[in-house]
Amino acid sequence: MATALPRELLRLRGIRKRYGGVTVLRDVDFEVRAGEVHALVGENGAGKSTLIKIASGAEPAGGGTITVGGRRLAGGSTTAALDAGIATVYQEPQLFGELTVAENVFIGRELRRRGLVDRAAQRARVAELLARLGLDPAIAEVRVADLPVAEQQLVSIAKALTGPARVLILDEPSAILTDREIERLFAAIRTLRADGVGIVYISHRLDELAVIADRITVLRDGAVVATKPVRELCVRSIAELMVGGSLAEPGASAATSGDGPVLLAVAGLGRTRAFAEVSFQVRAGEIVALYGLVGSGAEHIAGALYGISPADTGSIAVGGEPVRVHSPKDAARAGIGMVPADRKVAGVFAGKSVGFNISVGDLPALSRVAAWVDRTREREVAAGFIRRIAIKAPGVASLVSTLSGGNQQKVVLARSLAGRPRVLLLAEPTQGVDVGAKEEIHRVVRGLAEDGSAILVVSSDLREVLRLADRVLVVRGGRIGPEFGRSAAQADILAAAAGDPVGGGGARS
Amino acid sequence: MTVLPVPARRRARRVTSRAVEGQELVLAGVIAVLWLVLGLVTSTFFTASNLQNILFTMSGVAIIGVGMTAVIVTAGIDVSVGSSFAVVAVIIGRAVRDAGLGPVPAVLGALAVGAALGLVNGILVAYGRIHPIIVTFGTMNLFRFVAYQIFAGQQVDGVPPAFAFLGGGAPGRTLGVPNAFLLAAVLAALAWFAMRYVPTGRHLYAIGGDAVAARLAGIRVSRRLLGVYALTGLVVGLAACVTIGGSGTVQQNFGTGLELEVIAAVVIGGTSILGGRGTVLGTVLGALLVATVTSAVTLLDWSSDLTQLFIGVFIVIAVGVDLVRERRRRNL
Repeated sequence: MATALPRELLRLRGIRKRYGGVTVLRDVDFEVRAGEVHALVGENGAGKSTLIKIASGAEPAGGGTITVGGRRLAGGSTTAALDAGIATVYQEPQLFGELTVAENVFIGRELRRRGLVDRAAQRARVAELLARLGLDPAIAEVRVADLPVAEQQLVSIAKALTGPARVLILDEPSAILTDREIERLFAAIRTLRADGVGIVYISHRLDELAVIADRITVLRDGAVVATKPVRELCVRSIAELMVGGSLAEPGASAATSGDGPVLLAVAGLGRTRAFAEVSFQVRAGEIVALYGLVGSGAEHIAGALYGISPADTGSIAVGGEPVRVHSPKDAARAGIGMVPADRKVAGVFAGKSVGFNISVGDLPALSRVAAWVDRTREREVAAGFIRRIAIKAPGVASLVSTLSGGNQQKVVLARSLAGRPRVLLLAEPTQGVDVGAKEEIHRVVRGLAEDGSAILVVSSDLREVLRLADRVLVVRGGRIGPEFGRSAAQADILAAAAGDPVGGGGARS
Repeated sequence: MTVLPVPARRRARRVTSRAVEGQELVLAGVIAVLWLVLGLVTSTFFTASNLQNILFTMSGVAIIGVGMTAVIVTAGIDVSVGSSFAVVAVIIGRAVRDAGLGPVPAVLGALAVGAALGLVNGILVAYGRIHPIIVTFGTMNLFRFVAYQIFAGQQVDGVPPAFAFLGGGAPGRTLGVPNAFLLAAVLAALAWFAMRYVPTGRHLYAIGGDAVAARLAGIRVSRRLLGVYALTGLVVGLAACVTIGGSGTVQQNFGTGLELEVIAAVVIGGTSILGGRGTVLGTVLGALLVATVTSAVTLLDWSSDLTQLFIGVFIVIAVGVDLVRERRRRNL
């Protein structure tokens, strides 16, 4: 370099990382200059978060070098990274609701005077930071729990800026914000950029990159595909880089949709501040996917169909008959089954047996005189499912917590099938499941469709959506957008979901 | 992350951090109204002896409440205080009666024994990573057993008035105010100050809010936890001195149910049982409310069962208010 001062504040060279046998990052080069917003994009699992963790010292790299301002940084230490000036704001604000903004910003490293918290000094310092971020300095003494989410997000940034921050990493800061709140965030980011801070900006919302980013680096399968100035790219071209040239992999069976009776009909469904005017139908034997990015509202629609958080307006009909779904119990009675997202939180009873986990889905049918559970039949039914959908478990009595993630997910699937639903909702059915188990779950789901169930998959995994679904409905901003058929290109769907106003043509099959 | 919170459009109500919380004001108001009504309805409420009695009965609960508030703010709980109270009382009662221990060494001894018992809880919670309710439920039984062994089947009678200066009688008052109450007030003021202005005290709120995030913020979580349980043991020792000073006898059932009285005062005082929120001032007011109600039921010649009813209602209201507040925040 001929220039006296390296313009790169943070430079990652040849970063490698493996988890077990899986390579997550291969020779990644990434740099951030002073006074630029460098966006980092990629599909789920492309390696963005791992790269961020390595840069912020939360994880050691498996190879490669990190330099900050020309000086080599020892990896794997968050304090070393912080001292070097790399501050990270994670997606979920790590704040304490009961403490004030000023206390949160200085927690663990309070300004002291004679051993006591120097509130006045903290307030003054924080007020300065808040003003810089476009916040009302008076909120320094407000409890964080009383602030709206957007302001909490900005407080997290203020917290990151108390140190000698030269590089600020923002991990999906806009995912949970509304458009107006995003404007405030952007204003704050522009101020910091003007002050010479280098900003790494991670986002799934491709449309906002043109507004805020200067350069974009696209990661795919753990490698850098491109680093380009943002003006050379459009939403569609970023989407193409993210998914690569690969076309949708063909599903195992030919499309069967089109002529079965409509089993699930949703008309004009809406819930305040979550989604609106959602209408679609799913026929017997058909698999329909709702695909949307984080914050699109797709998961809220699934929640409304299953009565977790009921819709305010609109109607749901199962098999032609209108049904009121105000609770999961209503949904089950109407013949709707659900495999919830995040099996650890909402799916399995980890400390219970496989048999218990399956039969809890339909205890009345397994009970005698509708009172006590017939343990023999419970075992039989569970054993039947273990065979039918190939759950790899030593036996009915094995604890669910001892199974692999994929097999736990199959247990949840079996439970929702135990009630013999006519309509099955699957939310992120293969999240955190290994490739082999993913394939098997897809096979089971297709089998269910062939047997005449109507299946609705809500997923943010684009490949899964294309492999599984006969039709893909894109959800964006709480509304159903364009519909795609099996043969649609991944880039088109991603572009539609990520905010290409044209919607990538919206080819109806 | 299944269901993301829907971002708020509505502006949050701006509540700045004040020295006195809303719930404390409400509580003070309730107590004022009660006192007023009792003063009008009964001829005996506003007599020196009755007020002295109220202040004296609440002071033991308030003293232990200082430690309990700190514990509950860290999202913990200590149900062993009644039993450790009995252990301290029987050891010190015997030491004063049989070995002729003077007042100063006796108080110091009580503090030491109490702190040692609190340390047992603290070590198990902080370093054994066992849930506080399990730990202290265990030690509650354990300490009670230890106390019974020391009692050896006999209550300790005729304890000389080494603690008379802390007792409910005339030598235990300064300008007519029970010394025990003054002690509780000073302790509470110190704790209030520490939890508001000293970094370590502020950290307790962070730990109760999110222990993992607190650790990431550089707070020594285990050490703080150890500290709050030891502190609770310490104040239990002090409270035992007050009670012995008041009675001169240590009975075998000493401290039975005391943990529930203390927790009731803390919860009525607005401390969230989920941790992360609460103040010592609220706890003192909670203890005062309970003592007032107990006195009122006696003065009005009502069945003493009603005391339980009223305390129960107060707890339910306090917890209900807490939940409503919490829910309103979630919906922001």
